[in-house]
Amino acid sequence: MGGVGWDVIGAVGLILLEAVLIAGLLLQRAHRRRAELLLSERLRFESLLSELSARLIPVAVSDVNAEIERGLQRVVEFLRMDRASLHEYVPGAQTLRISWAVQGTERLSPITEVDQFPWTAGQLQRGQVVRFWRLDDLPPEAAIDRQSYRNLGTRSSLSFPLSAGGSMLGALSFDATLDGRTWPDELVERLQLLAEVVAGALERKRLELSLAERLRFETLLSEQTATFSSLMATEVDREIERALRRITDFFRADRGSLAEFSHDNRTARITHSWAAEGALPAPSTVSLAEIPWVVARLQVGEVVRFSRIQELPEKEAAGDRETYLRLGIKSQVEIPLRIRGLLIGALAFNTIGAERNWPDELVQRLQLLGEVFANILSRRWSEMQAQQLRENLTHVGRVAAMGELTASLAHELNQPLTAILSNAQAAQRLLASDAVNLEVLREILADIVEDDKRAGAVIDRLHGLLKKSSIEFTELDVNQLVGEVSRLVSGDAGLRNVPLRLDLIPRLPRVRGDRVQLQQVVLNLVLNGFDAVQQSATGDRTVVLRTAKEGSAGVRIAVRDSGCGIDDADLDCIFQAFYTTKSSGLGMGLAIARSIVEAHGGRLEAQNNPEGGATFFFTLPGIEQAA
Amino acid sequence: MIAPAAPSVFLVDDDQSVRKSLVRLLTAAGYDVEAFASAREFLARPQPTGASCLVLDVRMPRLSGLELQETLVTTGHRSSIVFITGYRDVRASVSAIKAGAIDFLVKPVNDQELLGAIERALTKAHQAERQHARVTEIRNRIKTLTPREEEVFALVVTGMLNKQIASELGVTEKMVKVHRGRVMQKMRARSLAELVRLADEAAVIAAKS
Repeated sequence: MGGVGWDVIGAVGLILLEAVLIAGLLLQRAHRRRAELLLSERLRFESLLSELSARLIPVAVSDVNAEIERGLQRVVEFLRMDRASLHEYVPGAQTLRISWAVQGTERLSPITEVDQFPWTAGQLQRGQVVRFWRLDDLPPEAAIDRQSYRNLGTRSSLSFPLSAGGSMLGALSFDATLDGRTWPDELVERLQLLAEVVAGALERKRLELSLAERLRFETLLSEQTATFSSLMATEVDREIERALRRITDFFRADRGSLAEFSHDNRTARITHSWAAEGALPAPSTVSLAEIPWVVARLQVGEVVRFSRIQELPEKEAAGDRETYLRLGIKSQVEIPLRIRGLLIGALAFNTIGAERNWPDELVQRLQLLGEVFANILSRRWSEMQAQQLRENLTHVGRVAAMGELTASLAHELNQPLTAILSNAQAAQRLLASDAVNLEVLREILADIVEDDKRAGAVIDRLHGLLKKSSIEFTELDVNQLVGEVSRLVSGDAGLRNVPLRLDLIPRLPRVRGDRVQLQQVVLNLVLNGFDAVQQSATGDRTVVLRTAKEGSAGVRIAVRDSGCGIDDADLDCIFQAFYTTKSSGLGMGLAIARSIVEAHGGRLEAQNNPEGGATFFFTLPGIEQAA
Repeated sequence: MIAPAAPSVFLVDDDQSVRKSLVRLLTAAGYDVEAFASAREFLARPQPTGASCLVLDVRMPRLSGLELQETLVTTGHRSSIVFITGYRDVRASVSAIKAGAIDFLVKPVNDQELLGAIERALTKAHQAERQHARVTEIRNRIKTLTPREEEVFALVVTGMLNKQIASELGVTEKMVKVHRGRVMQKMRARSLAELVRLADEAAVIAAKS
């Protein structure tokens, strides 16, 4: 019995052993299979990763986003997640989002509202990966984030910061929406690789864009410089504004402005500004006392920039901070404009809506622009001085011309006044008589009204001539302008017994210019013509005022007299200031006239007529008519 | 107005509205006004008879007021001239007054001033007219003298005695007496003193014109 018993025991033991062995084997196989599976999955994932990175490298900048989206889709499908998003930080603008979601999961908008995820953003900023498998796992300080995740239908999420060269490029995040899920370390490790690939693509895109942007900027800069150097003084303003607009757009700032500082550096007058759509325009003046710290920096030639007001020194720039806060400026870069070490103004670009970075590279470019603008300002200053001088001279010239005209204008004014007085006194006498003739009284009153208007018109003309107005360029009809002058001198012509003949070509191109100044040139030439024929006193005394086309688009205005002509020796100097062949006269008329004509882009010349007398003529460029 | 017709005022001004208003004023003041737009137009009109006044604008195209005055003076026109001017010009006013103008008024001219000047001008014109008439009369009397009587007349008024005249003319004293009586009669002089005055008047006016 005993033997049988051991046999049985042995058999059972063997079976058991075998079972254990089998179980062990089975277990080992299962393990191996799992390991094999794991390995193959890992391999597959790695091959997906290398495929993705291979695809992302040669792709054109414009196709990067589409390629990233395809990549996200494949990763989501591969890892059986619900949603993946790439958030791309754009300096000074909203954060862009590329995302892909499986069917049944909410798709996300192309803009990430970063401020709705303050805690997450802070973590990422510090280079931390953010992961949670339930919303409840989020710490209490992430309350806002929690609500925002909930709004997007996120249950579990894993986010990686994307950075390159120390600067934050964006974030890559994966969400589970249908069920909560865990994010094991091993998965995190693998996805970290993907994050690096994507960051690389983003950086490459950014660099390429920045290269393209730099090229565009350099083109803009050289264009701008070229434009400015060939500008007429009167067009500078328009061009500065255009440039500000281009640059503001270019740097995606909200506002660009050019300020001129007063000589005592007390106030900044914003001479030109451009505000992007939705941004308030810049104020017209800024008291520099309100930004003392900034002004001190600018004075020593430093560029002042801040991407947040908090970057300004808390104590020293307390006033500055307050001012910017009040003006609603979030970030700003301000370039000093200096001429020979003297601070004359500043070029500023700022953002109103959001804070933004002003990287070194951009500041360098803005400094180049600053130099261009400083040059313009300096040129404008000297041109303004020249212009003011010219205006003063013009005024002197006009007053001198007025002196010559006074006799005839006083006469012209006295005529209506005489008529008014005599009519009124005649009426008084009529009223005092027994039989009042109402009809005559009515006529008298009507005449008084007419003469009063006539006197008013003379005074208006005087005003127009004497007024020391600043120069105003408008579109002008040359024939009309010449006609006005001829009416002005008609009295004088009559009294001096000089017939003035008008010879006007109809349908002349219109010109751009200052009416009063150009009238003065014509007036001056006509009065000179009168003097010339009076000096000769023989034969034909006619002065002819003629308009004609000059070339294809210009206008020519000529005054021709039949006087004794100009000595060849004088022909060269008559346009110089203080040169005169007349017994009375300052010798300023023609010098001023020439400077006016030249400021209008024309030229003034004189020549002797073959049949005697001289012709003074000037040309003006016509306005090109839009076809 | 005692004169048979209203006293004549001639107005020359190139400005139509001034002309019209002054015609109204002067008409309302009781004058008979004739207006002209230019000096030429005025000159084309036959010379007025009787006392008249000329209101003349100084600055006019072509023939100016001053030039017209000069023409009138040289042609022995007897109108008194009142100048009106839009422009105070001392030189012109002096030369105008020197040449016999009554006044040189600056526009806009007040009616009192203008009418006063016109009155003075007319008074002067009346005087001139009377004087002219008298001189004409005296000259007409002189014309009735024979050549010998005229010689005697010329010497008598210098205060010469008959005897001296006789020796001067180589005639007898008696003949001088006869001629002298005729002269007194023809010249309608009642005394030597009167004869001398007549000679003076004629000579003065003669020298003037």
